[in-house]
Amino acid sequence: MPGTPDYGPRGVMLRRLLNVAAVVALVIVLFFVQSSGSVKLGQVFALFAIWAIATVSLNLINGVTGILSLGHHGFMLIGGYVTGLLMLPESARANLSFSARNSLSDFAIGLSVERWMNALGLDFLAAPETIGVRFVIAALLGGLLAAVFGLVVGFPSLRLRGDYLAVVTFAFGEVIRLLASTPLMASYTNGALGFAGVPSQFGKSVWWTFGALAITVFVFARLKKGSYGRALQGIREDEIAAEAMGVNIAYHKVLAFIISAFFAGVAGGLWVSWVGTARLDLFLFTLTFYFLVAISVGGTGSITGALIGTVLVVWVRQYGDPLEQAYPLSTWLVAAGVVLVAAGALGWLYRRNRRLRPVANPFVIGAAVVGVLAALLAWSGLLETQLASRWQGFGMRAIALSVLLVVIMIFKPAGIMGRREFQWTWLLRDRKDVPTEEERRQDAWLHRGGDAAAGGAEE
Amino acid sequence: MSVRADSGRGASAGGRSALRRVAPWLIGAVVLGLIAWRMLYLHSVNQNFNGAFFAGAAVRSLQLGSLYALIALGYTMVYGIIRLINFAHGEVFMVGAFAAFFLFSGTPYAWPVALVVAAVVAYGFLHFLGFFRVLGRPIVLGAALLAFVAVAVALASVRFGWLGAMVGSMFVTGVLGMTIDRVAYKPLRGAPRNSMLITAIAVSFFLQNFGILAFTNRQTPFRPPSFFTGGLTFQVGGETVFATWMIVLVPAVTLLLVAVLTTLVTRTRLGRAMRATSQDAETARMMGVDVDRVIASTFLLGSMLAAAAAVMWGMSFGSINQPAIFGILPGIKAFAAAVIGGIGSLPGAVIGGLLLGFLENFLTALFPRVGDFTGITEYKDTFAFLAMILILLLRPSGIVGEDLSEKV
Repeated sequence: MPGTPDYGPRGVMLRRLLNVAAVVALVIVLFFVQSSGSVKLGQVFALFAIWAIATVSLNLINGVTGILSLGHHGFMLIGGYVTGLLMLPESARANLSFSARNSLSDFAIGLSVERWMNALGLDFLAAPETIGVRFVIAALLGGLLAAVFGLVVGFPSLRLRGDYLAVVTFAFGEVIRLLASTPLMASYTNGALGFAGVPSQFGKSVWWTFGALAITVFVFARLKKGSYGRALQGIREDEIAAEAMGVNIAYHKVLAFIISAFFAGVAGGLWVSWVGTARLDLFLFTLTFYFLVAISVGGTGSITGALIGTVLVVWVRQYGDPLEQAYPLSTWLVAAGVVLVAAGALGWLYRRNRRLRPVANPFVIGAAVVGVLAALLAWSGLLETQLASRWQGFGMRAIALSVLLVVIMIFKPAGIMGRREFQWTWLLRDRKDVPTEEERRQDAWLHRGGDAAAGGAEE
Repeated sequence: MSVRADSGRGASAGGRSALRRVAPWLIGAVVLGLIAWRMLYLHSVNQNFNGAFFAGAAVRSLQLGSLYALIALGYTMVYGIIRLINFAHGEVFMVGAFAAFFLFSGTPYAWPVALVVAAVVAYGFLHFLGFFRVLGRPIVLGAALLAFVAVAVALASVRFGWLGAMVGSMFVTGVLGMTIDRVAYKPLRGAPRNSMLITAIAVSFFLQNFGILAFTNRQTPFRPPSFFTGGLTFQVGGETVFATWMIVLVPAVTLLLVAVLTTLVTRTRLGRAMRATSQDAETARMMGVDVDRVIASTFLLGSMLAAAAAVMWGMSFGSINQPAIFGILPGIKAFAAAVIGGIGSLPGAVIGGLLLGFLENFLTALFPRVGDFTGITEYKDTFAFLAMILILLLRPSGIVGEDLSEKV
């Protein structure tokens, strides 16, 4: 990382002031969301925070360390089921133990933070008012168990790398999910049925979720800036060089998996609480795919980028349902035409900026012509009878996200933010390192002939 | 990107070469002995576990294993050439199944859609044929395209048998495979391997949801009129084994396709170019091999095999699952099979596929529900993953084949 900007003594004060102001502003926004926003808006905010925790934690492995890990949904499953089981209220436990289709063992039904507190004589922690404390305990335990699995999954990273490692993490994630539905684990997970009635006031509360997100971001920002994060980035850039510099590769890689899995477990607990039930289909590979989209779009290795990407993914997931409604075929045809023309125009712009010749290549021409033809066909009314029937666009949201991911990987593999983080200097142009006119001329002379590789924190 | 051979292992192996030569046979003999002992034990516990029971399990294993082998060939060819785990291969398999389904049951689409699809497929194949410079002139291409579309439209009203549907869907998926390569992988040649893996995952998600969008969103019966889905019984040790003719058809078709593929890879110019590219793409390019065409052909061949597997898969089980999940498990298990056999090696994919088929079907038959023991049927989906993890950790080169994993 090109070093942190030099703020100077006044700058440090200013930065701290701005940090406090930003936190206060966020709290005010959350307060308004909670009090005057709709219920759905509050839930969307909470979901954003939960997924952001998972995305930021996945980014430690995928972005900072450069290991492609695809088993995050497995860690979330563990944390989610542990938290859900430990937090089940007594009424839900009674329902389960009387149910004929229950496969939870009596031991598993007895696993409750509330009962433990009673057994320990801490009655004030078993009272209904202190359920928050119990949730914290349950979520931490869920995170810890997930961290243990993180340790297990982390060990292959010492022997394998690249795509082989990605596949092994994927296989671990799937094995966790598949094992959870087998008789072996059904006495803890209740098989494919799962269990309902998990208290949802935590996952749906913006205060709890954003509190957890704030802690996560704080921890990961400190990690990334500290020696540990620098060692991880060293591993990403060049493993041999990092080892030669004295970085203990095994320790750092496995610890990255453990930390990441811990926060994924906590996110899983909040996610189960958000939904209110622990079910296996909450923890499909789709979840990891969403996080992957968020990281890739936002910027691999950047916490700010992960947050931006999560905003996009959650927005598409929660507000993208107009894409999946039933519309007449003519509407779809026009939409397809518009998308094609836009794709052609973007391709044209891209090729013009890159000085590629011919600017209008077959793709640009083809997309534009087909798009215009499709739109004209819909407007002309030639096929009015055929195009009148309604058609529902199932799966359009996921299609949009996957196309976005392919486009991002091809044209901007570093994502929006690259590896940069948000800095106040972007907003306040009080930097001391603004080059003088003389320096600018020297730079221009040095970089004559175009230097595409100049990235980093400079603008 | 350089992939180095593992020299450390070879150097230390010298002193133990005799043991190394005997070890595989020894392990095989021990495993067979254990299996025989387990079968005899089961038979002594319960007379139902007789020769016919195990023979049925064995032929079903062979059937399933052949299907895995066909899919695994697609993975292994692509990995051998561009070192990419083609996550979308399972979805190509899914598209193959649905394309065949629409070919033998009639499409629900209006004729303009069918026309567009036929044109795309025809264009894709002419593009492929253009690799061999037999269709160099644009006018020939245009005429051939028009003829193909005319034939396709004429055929749109005809319902195919299972063989016609299989061949048709092989054409569709072949073009699909080339398209995926062109759109999602070719722009990323030379990028970090993880980038290509991420686009592969994205393409796989795209195809899953495209399947829901364009095909159906529920389980679909898959019963083309065919002699082979009829019953077949045979005697083993005085007991009858009930099966369908698919247990003959699937291994036979697999054998045929593998033979064709092997001939193609070992005897033709294209095959030689493929082998050269897989050894060293840079040098192959310098020697005049058009690497991009070779890669496109690889995708075409692998995807065609996937379609053949998909049709036989549907016929074997009588129905295909909804598009979003149909391709995932067969795809990832076939990938596991490719890894087990040794990714990058064609015989390895076949061996791995068969092994996985036996692991899934025969192992569950060896540990059935007896007394208090509930059997291991529920766990069989995890076998592929666990076997893959173990193989990758203990012997990344697989059973046969060389180690292609990235080294530090």
